[in-house]
Amino acid sequence: MTLKDQVAIVTGGSRGIGRAVVLALAREGARVAFVYKGSTEAAQALEAEAAAAGLVAKAHQADVADPAAGDRVVAAVLADWGRVDILVNNAGVIRDKLFVQLEADDWNTVIGTNLNGVFAFCKAVSKQMVFKQRSGRIINVSSIAADHVNKGQSNYAASKGAVNSLTRVLAAELGSRNVLVNAVAPGFIETDMSAAVRNMAGEDGLKKLIPVKRLGKPEDIASVVVFLAGPAAAYITGQVITVDGGLSLGAIS
Amino acid sequence: MTHDEIFAKVRATLVDALNVDDNEVTPTARLKGDLNAESIDFLDIVFRLERQFGFSIPREDLFPESIFQGDPKFVAGGKITEPGLVELQTRMPYADLTEFRKDPRLDKMEDLFTVDLIVNYLQSRVNAK
Repeated sequence: MTLKDQVAIVTGGSRGIGRAVVLALAREGARVAFVYKGSTEAAQALEAEAAAAGLVAKAHQADVADPAAGDRVVAAVLADWGRVDILVNNAGVIRDKLFVQLEADDWNTVIGTNLNGVFAFCKAVSKQMVFKQRSGRIINVSSIAADHVNKGQSNYAASKGAVNSLTRVLAAELGSRNVLVNAVAPGFIETDMSAAVRNMAGEDGLKKLIPVKRLGKPEDIASVVVFLAGPAAAYITGQVITVDGGLSLGAIS
Repeated sequence: MTHDEIFAKVRATLVDALNVDDNEVTPTARLKGDLNAESIDFLDIVFRLERQFGFSIPREDLFPESIFQGDPKFVAGGKITEPGLVELQTRMPYADLTEFRKDPRLDKMEDLFTVDLIVNYLQSRVNAK
């Protein structure tokens, strides 16, 4: 167990990639606080599943787009467990529309969760990690869509591109305090969120574009998050690690 | 509080914040040049001093390095202008700018931030109480 006695916070933790990250971190010995917005049943089920396996995962209800959520959740976690070693900013939403149809609300919703939420949670853990612990890992779940564009995702791509830039600047600022900041950029992963895109493009068509000939599973991302959170990644910071089965290579045939 | 008492507290603070030895923290030691402080350390030092001394310290009071960002009135050709020097002395009445005035390069300004500067600043705050 590489993360024994460590404390992790995972946003968007009740479903999809976040859920796999919660379980993977907990299996490595971390106590995991996960944030969910509306999926109460899924959150309770995850708590129960973890407990049954002898793991520690505790649900916190919050909307990461609420500017007060980061401070509130981090304060609760510190009250429970006294420290925060790992922050995984995973919560994300999509509102795909062609730009001419995109409304301000579509823009603000995506930026609010995917970018402002990351800001608020990074900010909320920063003083604890930088000044009190002098150690920490922040892992932002980005997307290959930041650099490899899909039509209809101007808002989503902008939010993830900004997260990549934030990742690099934070890494530079916090490195001297042993706070390492990286991002993981998934390709097509089998989750509820990507279902619409997968249906539109057709799974067989997508698989042809992916050199390893399969869609990703949430566990494919979770294993990289665990690596970045653990001792084996002690010399990696400011990187965006692409985990997409080769999709972004753009091989035509 | 005497100058020596303040110095002792500042030294303890810097030893903790910067992981340096007691004997490295001399009055003339420069925070960046000699004690290897990074930008994030300046914030940490301010937070720690606030706790040590029990009053708030606006970071721009103690380390007013950002006042010259992009203002052509204060900086020209990489040097701080005469109005800039006047402004600096106004912001930092506790700083001795005599040496700095001889070659007031902006990139040399960080050399002003010495252990003594912190002590003098805190002395001025304590005296004003």
